[in-house]
Amino acid sequence: MKKLVSVILLFFLIFWVAGCGGSNEEAAQEQVTAGQAENILQKEWAEIEKLAQGTEIRMFMWGGDENINRYMDEWVAPQMKEKYGLTFTRVPMDAPEFMQKLLAEKKAGSQKGNMDILWINGENFKNAKTNDLLYQPFVETLPNYQQYVNQQSKNITTDFGVPVEDLEAPWGKVQFVFLYDSAKIPDPPKNFAELAVWVKANPGKFTYPEPADFTGNAFLRHLLYDAVAVDKLLSTGFDESFLEENARPMWDYLNSIKADLWRGGETYPQSLTQLDQLYSQGEVYITMGYNEGRAEPLIKQGVFPETTKSFVMEPGSIGNTHFLAIPYNTPNPAGAMVAINFLLSPEAQLEKLDPAVWGDNTVLDIQKLSEEQKNEFAKLDRGASVLPEEVLQKALVPEVGPEYVDWIKEKWMHEVIGAE
Amino acid sequence: MFVSPARPEQQEKPILTNGIKIFVLLFFCLPFAILLLQSFSAGWQWPRLLPGTFSWRAWQSLSREPRMIPAISITLLIGLAVSLINLILGIPAGKGLAHYRFRGKSLVEAVFLLPLLIPTLAVVMGIHIFMIRVGLTNTVWGVILVHVIPTLPYTIRIFRHAFENLGSKWEEQAATLGASQLTIYRTVWLPLLIPSIHSALMLSFVISLSQYALTAIIGGGNVVTLAMVYFPYFQSSNRSVLACFTVIFALLPLSFYLLMYSLYKLFIRGPGHYRGC
Amino acid sequence: MRSLGLNNHKPYLLVLPALIFFSLFVLYGIGTVFAESLNLSLNTGSSIVKYYIELAEKPGFWSGLILSLQVSAAATLLSIIIGVYLARQFYRRVPDSIWHALAWLPMLIPHFAAGYLAVLLLSQSGWFSGLLAQVTLIQETSRFPVLVNDKNGLGIIVTYLWKEIPFVLLMSMPVYRRMDWRYEDVVRTLGGGQWQVFKTVEWPALLPVLVETGIILFAFIFSAFELPYLLGVTYPKMISVMAYQWFYEGSWSNRPLAMALMTVSTVMVLIVAVVLLGLIQGKRYRMMRGR
Repeated sequence: MKKLVSVILLFFLIFWVAGCGGSNEEAAQEQVTAGQAENILQKEWAEIEKLAQGTEIRMFMWGGDENINRYMDEWVAPQMKEKYGLTFTRVPMDAPEFMQKLLAEKKAGSQKGNMDILWINGENFKNAKTNDLLYQPFVETLPNYQQYVNQQSKNITTDFGVPVEDLEAPWGKVQFVFLYDSAKIPDPPKNFAELAVWVKANPGKFTYPEPADFTGNAFLRHLLYDAVAVDKLLSTGFDESFLEENARPMWDYLNSIKADLWRGGETYPQSLTQLDQLYSQGEVYITMGYNEGRAEPLIKQGVFPETTKSFVMEPGSIGNTHFLAIPYNTPNPAGAMVAINFLLSPEAQLEKLDPAVWGDNTVLDIQKLSEEQKNEFAKLDRGASVLPEEVLQKALVPEVGPEYVDWIKEKWMHEVIGAE
Repeated sequence: MFVSPARPEQQEKPILTNGIKIFVLLFFCLPFAILLLQSFSAGWQWPRLLPGTFSWRAWQSLSREPRMIPAISITLLIGLAVSLINLILGIPAGKGLAHYRFRGKSLVEAVFLLPLLIPTLAVVMGIHIFMIRVGLTNTVWGVILVHVIPTLPYTIRIFRHAFENLGSKWEEQAATLGASQLTIYRTVWLPLLIPSIHSALMLSFVISLSQYALTAIIGGGNVVTLAMVYFPYFQSSNRSVLACFTVIFALLPLSFYLLMYSLYKLFIRGPGHYRGC
Repeated sequence: MRSLGLNNHKPYLLVLPALIFFSLFVLYGIGTVFAESLNLSLNTGSSIVKYYIELAEKPGFWSGLILSLQVSAAATLLSIIIGVYLARQFYRRVPDSIWHALAWLPMLIPHFAAGYLAVLLLSQSGWFSGLLAQVTLIQETSRFPVLVNDKNGLGIIVTYLWKEIPFVLLMSMPVYRRMDWRYEDVVRTLGGGQWQVFKTVEWPALLPVLVETGIILFAFIFSAFELPYLLGVTYPKMISVMAYQWFYEGSWSNRPLAMALMTVSTVMVLIVAVVLLGLIQGKRYRMMRGR
């Protein structure tokens, strides 16, 4: 039993050491950077570009898509070198990791980090904003933002319902679509009622990722919009008792199709990746997800069947925007701003839209482009699996706030899984 | 000088022997064969036993990843350093625990076991702040040091058992003959410990190789190891690219092993009692 | 074993470097985390206990905890039993090192990749399912037994076996190599069979190694999230997955819960470790006195 005593002693020791830790020098240093930041933001753009010349920037972003990676490495990086003398490095890292890193740097009082640009949206942005992890509001300063972006659009000014306040610049936008194998489903459902009929007729061939997953949660938000109109949700704001009363049809619906889902609704895919793999193996006939163009590269790679097409249903298709932010402790704010400005340029956005490259929709307002640029955007064929722009535009509905994401997650466990 | 006790004789039971071999092939090796096939497939639909079409596509797309070669080199470098630090810290600690009884031994044992009992996530968060303060974040050295944390407990264990099994009679004999400490280490222990050194090296290398969260957070993106490039691909639905990565991942420890083996053959001429693993 | 005077400084010199390393990195690290959780609760005026109560009331916590215990115990015990059996047979019947090397192959692959391999092979649309379809035993993917993402964690256990049996081999093979087989001759001369040999000659030498291996495996399986995340079901979820999801989800509101859960799992692991070590220490003590 000596060991037991040691372990207990050890824990006391830890507590004791812990008591001695902790320091608070952050406040004073913070003001210094704040001062510097204002200086840069007050400069003329030409001067900022000059400052950025010959410097190095590091962009931290999710690295799980070879097409996106290739766009950054083989197109963006050389362009930046050539145009602005910027050495651009893409660092593959998942958002939770770099957010964790940034938070710890803030706590440790670090004033000079190694990250210049972060690719974030939604809850990550909300966390970054509430914890003061971001640089000064810089977006207004970017010439391409001023010239080409519709600054009134709700998709630009809010991120999952959170006001952006110039802290992050829009980079691309995506819409939620369902992907299906047209060889197996000749006539895809037009609304949730038809989907239920189809599911009952084809037991085991449909499922959705559990709502702890980003995509699974979005699927359920569509169903919520079906039960309660989105305008109503937006105008009432997040109100739990209102939801309890009005969201009932949503849970009834899910429970009514449950027995005919994949694996009899006993379990759900834990991530979109898992659902995609089920789809690619033919275990299910429908998959889903943000980015209306995401099936194209997968079809080309032979992962998805060639007969893959997409559809949207009533009450619409949720669209959201993904953004680029600068962390509070960037060593090179000028370089970061120049790089983000370049990523917002019509040429960079056009390249990104090409399905052979990435297929991510542009955040620019097409009306603000020159005739020539308009033509080039119009000419681009996004691929057979992508719905026409008019259909997507017509179906577009906005995101509600992040509180709904958590509410759905919790409630689903009770209502659908029946967890005690 | 090391006389292995004779292996007990067995009555012949070829069925059992073959059964063991078949089990090893089916259970341990078959998945690797499937993995290799998958890496060359372009579309593999149920219920085919072989991919519908073979293609180099996945391998080509990996070869276009510009981070591959630097990532592999830095991974090997870090793995090598981590393994060596493990030996330097682990052999004496294992010996101390195996051959001596001393005040506070239980406490020391508890500390040595602790890193294996606490979720890495909790340790990382605490260490991160410490590492920022001492300026070790975003450096290769920082990554090497944090990789020692999840590996050293295993190494200490391996050497402790090795020393316990060997006993201290060898050392006593050598000491009676007037050999110095260093000579004893080099001529007595080292040759006897070779199998354990092999195990420890391999294990620390393999563990170091697969660290993602530790490397991402402490290396801060400045240190891009193979795991850093590989891990994000787990969110891609392209199974073939994933399979290629896994094959490369598995090949790294093998090449590390061959490297260490040739180094060993070059520099240490043991009594030839080494049995490969 | 040689027991020296207590004031001899040599053992301290031997363990000191490793001890300094762990104190600096691990103890300080944990200390900081604890300090922070203390600070947090002091600042917000709420007690830490609050999170533990919230945790106990979370849907799926208790069933997840039970599943975690079951899976960890089953995977650990089976790995050890099969691993030791293999080590024994390897040493006696399959001396060629090529076979040992083949059995170590799974060690080269990280856990998350092993989970992916399990899906490739064992899922309803996996390779084995295809094999059964080829010999016309099944006609549809849904006819294949549910091995991956099953409620009892079968797929998780099998995959852990694949990964951990080699580890048990790694830990126990050296014991076999250095075992003093003269004892076996004694047992056989006295008319003992295989089981007697195992019990009296091999088991005492193996026991300390196996207990430690068992603790390491149990702790690892109990707290690792990769395999249960890939191969588990929506409900019940192993607690390591819950902690991981709470910690890494977009909103940081569940983070204190994740930390509380990690503390709970650490305490569980510590209890198991202390009990097992206590058992073995008593045994060792008796063995030493008995000699």
